[in-house]
This record gives sequence, C-alpha cells and structure tokens, in this order.
Amino acid sequence: MAKFKLAQYWAASCGGCDVAVLDVHEKILDIAEAAELVFWPIALDFKYKDVEAMEDKSIDVCLFNGAIRNSEQKHVAELLRKKSKVMIAFGACACYGGIPGLANFTNRKEIFNTVYKETLSTVNPEGIFPKTSIEVPEGEVTLPEFFNTVKTLDQVVQVEYYIPGCPPTPKTILNAIDAIVKNQLPPIGSTLAGKKTLCDECDRKKEERKISKIYRSHEIIPDPEICLLEQGLICCGPATRSGCETRCINVNMPCRGCYGPSDEVSDQGAKLLSAVGSLADSNDEEKIKEILDEFEDPAGLFYRFSLPASLLHRKTMKGD
Amino acid sequence: MKKISIDPITRLEGHGKIDIFLDDSGNVANAYFQVPELRGFERFCEGRPVEELPRIVPRICGV
Ligand code: SF4
Ligand code: SF4
Ligand code: SF4
Repeated sequence: MAKFKLAQYWAASCGGCDVAVLDVHEKILDIAEAAELVFWPIALDFKYKDVEAMEDKSIDVCLFNGAIRNSEQKHVAELLRKKSKVMIAFGACACYGGIPGLANFTNRKEIFNTVYKETLSTVNPEGIFPKTSIEVPEGEVTLPEFFNTVKTLDQVVQVEYYIPGCPPTPKTILNAIDAIVKNQLPPIGSTLAGKKTLCDECDRKKEERKISKIYRSHEIIPDPEICLLEQGLICCGPATRSGCETRCINVNMPCRGCYGPSDEVSDQGAKLLSAVGSLADSNDEEKIKEILDEFEDPAGLFYRFSLPASLLHRKTMKGD
Repeated sequence: MKKISIDPITRLEGHGKIDIFLDDSGNVANAYFQVPELRGFERFCEGRPVEELPRIVPRICGV
C-alpha cells in the first residue's frame, strides 16, 4: 500500500504535541510503516521553502499543533492548508487556543511590558520592544508580527478534523491514525475523541451534587472513590469531552478541561459556570454567594484551555 | 549584502531563525539569531491561583 504523506507543524505550542506522537511507543513503527513524513520541524530538516515548492494538495494529512499567535504561524497555517488534503487541528492549542490562549485575558501591550520591561530578571533601560523589522549595519532583519489576540487554527484556515487534548493521549492519537489509514474518518468537522462528557467516562461514585464549601486543590486530599466535584473541588468534567481515559481524575486531580467541550456543549466555560452555580447547597442567596465567592479565578479555570474558541473570545480592553 | 536565511531552525524544541549576511567576497560579515516565538506566560500566569501554576507552566515546554 502506498504510504500517506504526513506533515506536522507547531505554531504557538510547547512541543508536547509533537512528543505525544512518540508516546505511542513501539506503535510508532506502525505509523512509520503507513506514513511518509514530508515536513516535521522538531525532527526533520525541511525548510519553509521546501513546503512552498510542493504541489497544492500533495500532503495527504497535516497534523497542526499550536495556536495562532503571530503572523508567521498564520502564514504557515495558510501555506500548509493549501498543500494539504486534510488539515487536522492537533491538541488543545490548535483546537481551542489552549494554554497560550490564556493570553486573551490580556493583550499585546501588557505582555510586551511584562516580558521586556517589568520582570525582575529583565534589564532593559532603553525600553526596547520587538519590532517586525529593524535595520542592522548589514541590511534588514525581520520578526513576525505578534498579534493582539490568540486564535484557534479554524479561525484562520478551514479545518477538517480536531484531535483534542493537552496533549492528546496515545490512545486518542492511535485511534485517529487508524481511522486515517483505514480510510474510516467520520464526517468532516468531527472531533476524533469521545462524544460524551468526561463525567460519563468517569467511574467515581456520584450521588447528590451539592456542596457547602469549595476547596482549593491544595487544601484537601480527596477520597479517591468519590466524585471530586461532590467533595468541593471544582472539576471541569461536566462540560469536557471524554476520551482521555480520565487521566487527571486517576491521580486524584480534578479535570481542567483540556479535551475541550463535548458534542452537546458549545461554550465550555459558560456550561461550567451554570453547572457550578447550581451546586451550592443552600436556598439562601447570601449563603450561595458566600460559597461561590470562595472560588478563585473562575474565568481562568472554566476557560483554561478554550478562551479563544469561546463566545467571549477575549477580554475586552481599552485601547485594543 | 547577500543574506542567507535558515528558517526555521529544525530538530530542536522551539522556534528560531538565523540570518547570515555575506560580504562581497562571500565571507560571513555578521549573523543574527532570532527567536520569533513568544506566548507571554510571564503575563498571563499573573492572577491565576498559585496552586494552578503546576498545571499551567508545564506548557512552557513539553519536550
Ligand atoms: S496542546 Fe498542550 S501539549 Fe499540545 S502544544 Fe499545546 S500546550 Fe503543548
Ligand atoms: S465532576 Fe469530575 S470527578 Fe466528578 S464525575 Fe465528573 S469527571 Fe468525575
Ligand atoms: S482529565 Fe481533563 S484535564 Fe485531565 S487529561 Fe482529561 S480532559 Fe484533560
């Protein structure tokens, strides 16, 4: 059987998604058997000009990880889109914005100020900030433009499939590769993981979901058999897609939502907000407020991996 | 001056490019290494509860 041509790229990412592909251990040999890698910066020495020289639609599948944070990433996303038959958003960053998407709670100006001026380890008395182009004695050197707002891959180019997770688990990856190899991909637009919520996949005991106190995760050691939410730890399971095999729950840590919203959920954070709002064990408005007030940084938790993909998209800020 | 760009730098974690300028006789006049990548963890970690940071900062580098 002819090998399918595979490209992998990283945009605003951590490299974890690239390494996740190796986490399938000896099964990587099956992938190597089925796929010919034509572009993969972390592992192979191809340049952008090599991709530019490829014929349009000559790459069968592109696994694109990372969010779109600057103009270079947008350009490469557009280039790989043109060259690929099937574009797959790989990992939470590409699918929903992921952790780099938390930057949508701030903006370019604040980020530049903190990074290049205010941090204790930075010495920059002249206040030099990155520029897209500078003149040097020998000529010009350029940098990509740092956008004000982080975008998901599908906010920049058309995407056929989504593989969620930060990073996707080996099982999620192998199932997806298997579907590609066997030509059994589901309808375009599908997310290649579970359909239901993580709570449906979680086998912890669930009784009555009412809590009288919200705990921060360092404050208690939860019972490993009982639902974490019922023990007062905010868990994103009710709005998060299944498919990770309850990776965090298994080590007694509440879910933070890296598999994104499930099929029935359109906005992960809004769904979590309503789920948690109805948990407080009281009919007294004051008491409910008291319970929920103890909850630190709800937006940063409910939209931990999905702010750019959400209805909010970003925090509205003066001057933007 | 002639410029040779190595873009992207491959087989490492992260993003980088190198611009090499050559003088008239083809020798290297100067070379610039640039990191075109920034995500802004320094800023967006501010305001997050401290016990959440071990679940955020591993995403600085996953290699
Ligand atoms: S989804 Fe997670 S593992 Fe993948 S690149 Fe983004 S931060 Fe890294
Ligand atoms: S809220 Fe969390 S711990 Fe409880 S059932 Fe859902 S996934 Fe499991
Ligand atoms: S439990 Fe939640 S945060 Fe942890 S891997 Fe699964 S989806 Fe991601």
